[in-house]
Amino acid sequence: MFVKASVACAIGLALGLWTSRAILANGGPFGVVAIGAWNVSAKAGSLEADPYTRAGLERSGEIPLALGEGLQLVARVDDAGRPLDARCAYRVGSRTPAARYWTLSLVDRDGFPIENAAGRYGFRSSEILRDADGGFSIFVSASAHAGNWLPIGAPSPFALVLRLYDSPLSATAGGIEKSAAPSIAREGCA
Amino acid sequence: MSVRERLGGAAIFLAAVLVVGALVHFIVILLIPVVATRDAFARLEDLGPADATIALARPSPTERRFPYADPALASAFCRFDLAAGPVRVKAAVGRAGFASLSFHTRRGAVFYALTDKAATHGVMEAIVVTPSQLRALVARDDEDNPSQDLRVVSTTTEGFVLMRAFSELPSLYAAAEAQAKSLSCAPEPAPK
Repeated sequence: MFVKASVACAIGLALGLWTSRAILANGGPFGVVAIGAWNVSAKAGSLEADPYTRAGLERSGEIPLALGEGLQLVARVDDAGRPLDARCAYRVGSRTPAARYWTLSLVDRDGFPIENAAGRYGFRSSEILRDADGGFSIFVSASAHAGNWLPIGAPSPFALVLRLYDSPLSATAGGIEKSAAPSIAREGCA
Repeated sequence: MSVRERLGGAAIFLAAVLVVGALVHFIVILLIPVVATRDAFARLEDLGPADATIALARPSPTERRFPYADPALASAFCRFDLAAGPVRVKAAVGRAGFASLSFHTRRGAVFYALTDKAATHGVMEAIVVTPSQLRALVARDDEDNPSQDLRVVSTTTEGFVLMRAFSELPSLYAAAEAQAKSLSCAPEPAPK
């Protein structure tokens, strides 16, 4: 009886720790709004953040963008829901939700830029090459690509981060149409 | 032991595992903010004293202090401590690009933010106060000649202000850095 109870406690402890870790690694179950492949932690930049969001921020040391400053969207999967893979090439485009400026950058699992020979970690809306109709395509791949090339520096999991500065949508993450968020199309894999 | 007894035993065991697991899970989630010693404030504390304006290094693969920071933005911060009195925060706004101030509690949560659109005469300015300092200031206000200050109430005595300045092009990053460093945090005498 005692042995059984101890085993139950031990397994329960492991289960509790594992679920905490797994949930925090994914940003928490609450207040995360999905827009296509992108996730927004809607309340991270406010005092109303839920305990999961708060715990995640405190553990990582991230300084979140305030709701009044802008919105940060993170994608770890492509449009079809497949995890972003360093062996594949992606085309990101061609529009973003309304914002005064936006930036798209590539980060590792922990949210830091990945070393690459080109020394490029992201693009600004004010520096990219655009199509004739004002749209854009950013090519995310390990090997060089003509146009806006965002290199994948290392063969490891990565995420794409889209930040919208001074966006009228800031206060209401739920108000973003799926069609307004840039698509992440997989173009082929090595 | 009958099959039924065995099944009953297994169910109790499983229930015990789930109850312990759920308990541990919620305790961990709620305890992290209390025991986290590497939160944003602690990381900023390593970089310098309160009230000083300190530039943050540009995010890069080797600069692994603050995750999910934007390499297109220059930033600087100052920590405040309201125990001795309010702190006046000022920052200059450049001609181009986006700039903002965000006000964070000791625990890192944002309690206020303003952008360059709210600047008057090219300066973003606010005074950070505790609830009791706000009451003292309001009691002292002159009704005919109201204060022009933007008063921002912090729920914690300690906290920090972060200035972000956007660079429209890579070549303008140095200008954005200079703009971020225009942040100043000056303690003011406590209102009597």
